[in-house]
Amino acid sequence: MSTAAPPEVFAALADPTRWKVLDLLAARGEGTATTLAADLPVSRVAVVKHLGVLDRAGLVAGRRVGREVRYAVRPERLDETADWMRQLASAWDARLAALKALAEEAGGD
Amino acid sequence: MEDQITRDVVIAAPVERVWALVTTAEHLGTWFGDDGADIDLRPGGALVLRWKEHSTVHGRVETVEPHSRFSFHWLTGGCDTPAADEPADGTSTLVEFTLVPEGDGTRLTVVESGFSTLALSPAAREERFASHTGGWAFELGELADHGARVAA
Repeated sequence: MSTAAPPEVFAALADPTRWKVLDLLAARGEGTATTLAADLPVSRVAVVKHLGVLDRAGLVAGRRVGREVRYAVRPERLDETADWMRQLASAWDARLAALKALAEEAGGD
Repeated sequence: MEDQITRDVVIAAPVERVWALVTTAEHLGTWFGDDGADIDLRPGGALVLRWKEHSTVHGRVETVEPHSRFSFHWLTGGCDTPAADEPADGTSTLVEFTLVPEGDGTRLTVVESGFSTLALSPAAREERFASHTGGWAFELGELADHGARVAA
């Protein structure tokens, strides 16, 4: 299992419009650039770009149906990233606990 | 909300003692690393943390406000990083310790931030910081759950 930072995921998630795109896709199960653009304050062309970034980060996957590409969320990558953050947080908890023990032991008398 | 992890702990020891534990090589090499540490405690100074079972991680001291604030940049994914690499803005996360007296003890808060800048070019970072810093950290778990439900 990889514990490496998924920086491309963080970079992809750092944009508020891409968050909305992900959120819409998660809520609906599927969407195209056209249907997503209808609910976002940006153009279809901009949505296509955002979907490209999300796709390269492994956060969404598209499948061609006739003339359109339907996108859906790929939860694995988000789960991995959330797990990674939880691991980092628990690493800090462990370090702080060790520090507390050391400080209180040394400062006891 | 930012791309950060925040943790805190209340320690039954005065800030002076906690400060010493957080900023001296002798102690950093035990509770943080487990195989020693080096630190040049001044802004821009080098920080080295060693683990027996991982590689050595290099950092750079940013802020030193005695008994109050200490921060450094480090390569948080350090295990994958060549030891010679120096952390630079945008390729590392910032770890910031804040010490506040609380009763007879100390509240120690640690914030690690900057994950979303890890993959960006300097120009892209500048552009993004100028516009928006994102609000994804809070929502990450929620969206992951969301995605999992949809996929189920």
